Amino acid sequence: MSSITPSAGAEFFNKAELTHQHYLTFILRDEYFGISISAVKEIIEYDNVTAIPLMPDFVKGVLNLRGEVVPVIDLSIRFNKPATEIQRRTCIIILEIPFEEQLVTLGAVVDSVCEVLEIQPESIESAPTFGARIRAQFILGVANVGERFVILLRGERVLSLDEMATLIEKVME
Amino acid sequence: MDLTQARSLFIEEALGLLEVMEACLLEIEAGDATAGQHIDAIFRAAHTIKGSAGLFGFDAIVAFTHIVESVLDKVRDQKISLDHDLCDLCLLCQDHLMTMIRQLQDDSIQLDLHAGEQLLARLHLYLDGKPALAMPEAETAAMSEHWQFDVRYGADVFRDGMDPMSQLSYLATLGTLTDVHLSAEFPAEHFDPESCYLRLHANLASEASKQTLEDVFEFVRDSSEIHITVPKSISEQLAQQDISDEKLGTLLVQAGAVTPRELQQALQAHKQQEIAIGQALVQQGAVPPELISTALDKQKATEHKRPADFQFLKVEARKLDGLINLIGELVTSGAEMDSLLSELGNSKITESFSVLNSLLEQIRDGALSLRMVQIGESFSRLRRIVRDVSKELGKEIDLIVEGADTELDKSMVEKLSDPLMHIVRNALDHGIEPTELRLYKGKPAQGQLKLSARHEAGSVVIEISDDGAGLNVQKIRDKAIEKGILAPDRDLSEADTYKLIFEPGFSTAAAVTNLSGRGVGMDVVRRNIEELRGQIQIRSAIEKGTTFSIRLPLTLAIIDGFLVSVADTKLVLPLNMVQECMEFKPGLQTQGRNYLDLRGEVLPFIRLSDIFRLPGRRLQRENVVIVQYGSDRAGLVVDALHGELQAVIKPLNSMFQSLRGIGGSTILGSGDIGLILDIPQLVQFATNLEMQTCHP
Repeated sequence: MSSITPSAGAEFFNKAELTHQHYLTFILRDEYFGISISAVKEIIEYDNVTAIPLMPDFVKGVLNLRGEVVPVIDLSIRFNKPATEIQRRTCIIILEIPFEEQLVTLGAVVDSVCEVLEIQPESIESAPTFGARIRAQFILGVANVGERFVILLRGERVLSLDEMATLIEKVME
Repeated sequence: MDLTQARSLFIEEALGLLEVMEACLLEIEAGDATAGQHIDAIFRAAHTIKGSAGLFGFDAIVAFTHIVESVLDKVRDQKISLDHDLCDLCLLCQDHLMTMIRQLQDDSIQLDLHAGEQLLARLHLYLDGKPALAMPEAETAAMSEHWQFDVRYGADVFRDGMDPMSQLSYLATLGTLTDVHLSAEFPAEHFDPESCYLRLHANLASEASKQTLEDVFEFVRDSSEIHITVPKSISEQLAQQDISDEKLGTLLVQAGAVTPRELQQALQAHKQQEIAIGQALVQQGAVPPELISTALDKQKATEHKRPADFQFLKVEARKLDGLINLIGELVTSGAEMDSLLSELGNSKITESFSVLNSLLEQIRDGALSLRMVQIGESFSRLRRIVRDVSKELGKEIDLIVEGADTELDKSMVEKLSDPLMHIVRNALDHGIEPTELRLYKGKPAQGQLKLSARHEAGSVVIEISDDGAGLNVQKIRDKAIEKGILAPDRDLSEADTYKLIFEPGFSTAAAVTNLSGRGVGMDVVRRNIEELRGQIQIRSAIEKGTTFSIRLPLTLAIIDGFLVSVADTKLVLPLNMVQECMEFKPGLQTQGRNYLDLRGEVLPFIRLSDIFRLPGRRLQRENVVIVQYGSDRAGLVVDALHGELQAVIKPLNSMFQSLRGIGGSTILGSGDIGLILDIPQLVQFATNLEMQTCHP
């Protein structure tokens, strides 16, 4: 238990949790983020997203992924930043998020996708308790990769279906 | 072999058998059927469960079922009768078994071992305690290879000039006589040397028919009691014989087990005492009970051969779902093809495609109907609840079931069972008054509960009505205000007031009973029904009763839809709700209010672009689609009409569950996503919005 360092939001940074993994890195508002490749299903161009009425801003709408209707979420708004502007390089990362013992497919809008990095657990540090300007519970850790910091995200937290459902419910009322 | 799969098959089979057992017991208890009619089915259910449980080594189930089976076996042999008490006990055993089997599936279910032991103790009473019923033949009825004769000669045999010895010697010419016992039963007083006090027991191995054998005793028949028991070989022969649709009696006569005279007597007894022929024959001692049940089985088997009987095929639900998903894809790609072909404008291809499309529609309907099951199954489960609850409450309930053959989607039947149960319990507990109160009010002592199901304009309507006290609007209002569900200054219509009982934490019963009154349940009812894209309505009249009416869509998979668009958003309306479409002219609108003048009728309308806050320009020309749902009508103002389509319903992600007015999505021919409107919910949403803006 010696490797556990408490961080904000009653979340624990557990080195044991970080196995030797590949991370997909992407850019959102000039910042580098990473997400474990095991959650990523595919990456597609931002196109043909059907808006759903009355939804809060972070819900971009739904997308037809070969017959499957997939909700698309704007990560930037989830991080309390202005909405992502749709540009030539805007992408949707299709992720599979565990929810109630099932994998739910969701899309996350990002400014651009970079590369897949192999990050050793040793080079991942716990998130600073403040300063990242993102809710600490979203962050798995921070990796220092070649002169820049990559914030590794917890997909199941950032795209928590329960939390998003509650947010939608609030808007509906 | 995959044991898990076999195990789940066992569980499913056992649960099915227990349901059959329950239904049979309930019918017997209600007097709708005699024990004789159903005992075989009940016994077989117990027997099969015991057998299969043994294969899997579920020893507890085997041990318990064995005792139940033994008691049932005694009932089958008519050694004990299936009276009210035993019926009740059997139902309790059935419950216990149900719990035992469910426990195999779900570890969280607690099994009341103590209750099980108590049941076993009660069953043992039937096994050891009670003496056999008056059935003199019971002991001699054991099947043997021989004809068995039991002749009690009448007192006047000698006086009539008959000689038992000559009959015996004649019998010896027909076959081999063994075990001849001649006994005399002399009276203690008034012994008459001229009277006959003889009783003859004999076994005969013979090929002769029963008729020939009976003829031997023809002349003493009127004065004596003659019982001839059929050898085993004949009853086996009976089981093997290939007989078409035959009456039980004829069947037995044909096999030589019964003579026409015996049948005649049995028929008379059947008419006079209204007992089953088989039973009458057994009472006469003409045939052993085992033989009758063999013949009855045979009769049942021949009935099953009739073409009118349905034959079922058990199919894994997963395979069926897979098929329906595929057909959904097929429909979607068909729609895409359709839109491409209309661009192409080649009339030959278009024509050929339209044939393909109509076949596709038929396949779609066929596949969807595979999932359809009759609602009767759910209703019969309710029958049990009604019985148990009315017993517990000491109320007499007359349950009427209508339209049990109405079909609806299997997954809906499953999700409906809880809500229906809650409503029925509430009706019994709160709706129908106690007997004394009913008599005081001048109502019949027996309360009436009616379950009905029917198809109505593309939906299924299920109604549960009671003839109880009805809902008291004022009481509900007061209670809702007290519980903080309703603001004291809010005005509500009668129908809206009734709906308050679905609010979480609402309960009007003064006392919390075991059954209801805890305020959980009714909110579950509404939630479950809304999950099925259905609506629930309440009609009630004081002292007349309450009716819960549940309206559900026929299917959850594919619907016929009508495509419209508002700004860039494509919306699909269920076609069976669409009545007509017309151009929306500003003149139609009455003084800035959201009313239309539809040929003199006032029609409220909803502007979809307003309610959904859809951006975009307002087109020059707008259209209004008039929709009807249940008894209500409304107009929906949209930009453009695109026509009919088949919509494969893709449920939206669960995070959108609080979204009102949109029930799901579908993929259009163009590959775009269309949103399927839930019209009743949409109207409700519009009503609520208006209420909020009008009541600041």
